[in-house]
Amino acid sequence: MKSLDFNFKYATLFTVYVVFSLVVVKPAYPEGKFKLRPGAKGKICLKCHETFKQTLKSRYVHPLLKKGKCTGCHVPHTSSHKNLLTADTTKLCYECHKKVLPEKARSAHKVVVEANCNKCHNSHGSNNKFILIKSGNELCFDCHKDISDNIKNVRFKHKSLEKDKGCLNCHNPHASAKSNSLLRNSMPSLCIKCHKTNKSTFRQQHMNYPVAKSDCSSCHNPHGSNKRGMVFDVAHSDVARRKCTTCHQIAPSLKTKQPPSQLCRECHKTMANQTFTKKRVHWPVVDSVSCLHCHGPHATKEQKLLKDPQLQVCGECHADTVELQEASKKNPNNDKLCEPVKTGNCTSCHSPHAADNVLLVNEASISFDICARCHQWETHSTHPIGEKFIDIRDKNLSVTCLSCHRACGTGNNPAMLTFSSTYELCIQCHVERRR
Amino acid sequence: MTKMRKCCRKISLAATSMLVLASVVTMSSSGAEVKFRYVTSLYSDDKNIPLKQPEGVASDGKSLLLVADTGNGRLLRYIFKDGFLEAEIVEIRSPQLFYPVKTEINSRGEIYTLDRKQRSIVRLSSEGEFRGYLNPAGLPSPAAYVPRSFTIDKNDNFYILDILSERVLILDPGGKYVGQIKFPQGYGFFSDIAVDVNGTVLLVDGVNALVFSAAINSAAFSPLTESLKQYVRFPASLTTDDRGRIYLVDRNGGSITILGQDGIFVERQSGLGWKEGQLNYPAQICINAKGEIFVADTRNSRVQIFKVFE
Repeated sequence: MKSLDFNFKYATLFTVYVVFSLVVVKPAYPEGKFKLRPGAKGKICLKCHETFKQTLKSRYVHPLLKKGKCTGCHVPHTSSHKNLLTADTTKLCYECHKKVLPEKARSAHKVVVEANCNKCHNSHGSNNKFILIKSGNELCFDCHKDISDNIKNVRFKHKSLEKDKGCLNCHNPHASAKSNSLLRNSMPSLCIKCHKTNKSTFRQQHMNYPVAKSDCSSCHNPHGSNKRGMVFDVAHSDVARRKCTTCHQIAPSLKTKQPPSQLCRECHKTMANQTFTKKRVHWPVVDSVSCLHCHGPHATKEQKLLKDPQLQVCGECHADTVELQEASKKNPNNDKLCEPVKTGNCTSCHSPHAADNVLLVNEASISFDICARCHQWETHSTHPIGEKFIDIRDKNLSVTCLSCHRACGTGNNPAMLTFSSTYELCIQCHVERRR
Repeated sequence: MTKMRKCCRKISLAATSMLVLASVVTMSSSGAEVKFRYVTSLYSDDKNIPLKQPEGVASDGKSLLLVADTGNGRLLRYIFKDGFLEAEIVEIRSPQLFYPVKTEINSRGEIYTLDRKQRSIVRLSSEGEFRGYLNPAGLPSPAAYVPRSFTIDKNDNFYILDILSERVLILDPGGKYVGQIKFPQGYGFFSDIAVDVNGTVLLVDGVNALVFSAAINSAAFSPLTESLKQYVRFPASLTTDDRGRIYLVDRNGGSITILGQDGIFVERQSGLGWKEGQLNYPAQICINAKGEIFVADTRNSRVQIFKVFE
C-alpha cells in the first residue's frame, strides 16, 4: 500500500510538470510550419525581396502581406504554379474572395470570369483604394478606350462619370446580379435614383409621356453624346424633333398608333416599295416585331438606327454563320480574308430587307457581280470559270467562285476554301488526280 | 455443382433478357437506326430546261411528285413509280404564280403552294389551273396574317404558320377558321410547320434549333427537343413519316437530321456538298408511304430522291 502511495505521488508530480511545460513554457521549436528561426516570420522574405519593403509602405496593403503572411499565397520552396504561388492564379484569389462573382450573376466582368484579378489589382499593395493599380476611371479606361474616347469628344457628358466613384456610380466592377452591362441596378431604376421623374422639367422634356418605366437607353447614351439630353447621336428624325406623336398616341398613352409592321411603312414608303416588290422579303421584316428586330425606334449608336453593330444584329439569328466568320478571322491561314468577312459587313453582299436571289444576295450572280467588285476573277486563277464551264459534280451548275470558296467564311480552312486543303478541293472534280 | 450451374444459367438468362428488353425500349423511344440510300436526282423538265433553285417538293404519298421550281417561277409534275421517273413531266405556270416555295397536295390532288413574293397561298386544281388564294374565313382578331409556311393533314385541314400574329391557324378543308394555337414564349424564329400521323402539330425554330409540339386539341406549344445545335446549324424545314419520325432539314449545314417521335436524336444523313447524295442549302422535304424521300436541293438546282432503309 505504501509503495502505491509513493507511485501515485510521483505520477501526479510528473503530470503537473508535463502540463506546465506544455502550457506555460514556450516551446523551443522554430516558428510556424516552415520551422523559421524565432523572429524571422514576416521579415525573412523581405531580406531578398527588398522591393516589397516599399510596397509595405503603400497606403493600402493586402492584409496577408501586412501581417507578414507571405505564405498565405506563396510556397517558400517549390510550387507547380508561377511565382511560387500556392494555387493557380485562376483559383487563388477566389479561395478567399468567393463573393466577388455571385452564382446568379446577370452579367460579369470578363477579367473576373477569367480570374485576371491582376489586371486591376496589385496583389501586394498600392496607394489606391482596394489595392487597385490605378485610381478612378483611369483604370477602366485603360481597356474601355472606345468609351473613354467617346467621352472625351462629346459635347454633353454624363455628370456622374466625373463625380464620386466615376464609372462605379453606375457599374459594379466585378459582376451584377441585377442587370446586364455590370449595372448596379436595372434600368430605369438605376437612372431614376438621380433623375427624379416627378419633376416638372423631366415631364416637360419627355413631352408628358410616362417614361418612368421605360428603358432610358432606348434614347439616351448613358456616357454622353453630342446631342442635348445625351440622346444618341443617331436619332430618328421624329425623336430629334420631339414629334413623338408621329408614331405614338397622344400622351399619356405610350401605345404606338399601329403595329411596327404597318407604322414604319407610313413614312418609309420608298424603302417599303423597294422591299415588297422583290421576290424574297427577309421573313423577319413581315413578322410581328418587324423592323424592330434590327433597328432601334428612337436613337442608337449605329448608323441607320441599327440597334447594335451590324454583325451583332445579324448574329442574333444567324449565329452559326457568324461563328464561321469569327473562326475564319482567327485562322492564321486566312491572311487574305475577304474584306467584308473580316469586318463583318454582311450587307456588302446581302440585302437585309429583300432581294430577288437566294440567300438575299443583292446581285443575281454572286461570282461575277459580287466577288468581282473587289476580285478581278479573270486574273485570279487559270482555272476556267463562268457560265460556259459546267461543274462536273452537278450539271445544273457552272463553275463559279463558290465552287471552291464559301463566301461567309469556312472556319479553319485556308483561303475560305470549302475543303481543308487545295488537294482535297481539287480532287472533288479531278478525281483522276487522287493520290 | 449441377445446382450451381443451373443458378448461373438462370442469372445469365435473366441478364440477357434484361439487355434485350433495354435495347428494345431504347429503340422504341429513339427509333431504329435509319439510313438513306441515294436513288436519283431530278435536274430538268422534259424539254431539258434545267431546274433553277427549287424550294418546294410535295408528294401525294403515291407516285405523284410536285416540284416548286422556284427560280423559274413554275411547278413541275413528275410521276415517280417503282424507283423510276415516267416520261411525261407537266409544267404548271400561272400569271398568279411568281415565286413558289413550300408546296402541298391534298387528298383530292389539289395543289397549294406558298408564293413568297405575294406571301399568299395559291390554290390550283390537280390539273394546275389557278383557283384563287387560300383566304381564311372567319378569322378572329387580329384578322391580319402572314403565312411563313403551311401544311395539310390527312383530313385536308390546313395549318398555317402565321408569323405576323404569332400563331398557328387551323382551317377546315374549305378554308374556314377552326382554331388557333399561339406561339410559345421565348421562341427565336419559326420557319416551318408539320403535322404527324397522330395530329400533333410540330414547329421548327431555326434560330434556337428547337422543335416545339402541340398534341391534337392542345391549346399551347411546348418544347419537344432540347437545343439541337450539336447536330444542326440552322434547321429550316421539317416533315414526318407514317411512324411519326421527324425529318429536319439543316439549311446551312446541308444535312437531314432524323428524330424519334419523342424528339430524341436518331441519325444524321447526307452532308454539305455538290455531288449526288450531298445537299447545298436544302429547303422542303417530303416522304411517301414507300419510304422515298424527296429533297428540294435549292443551291444545287435539283431535287434529290433517297430511299430510307433501317
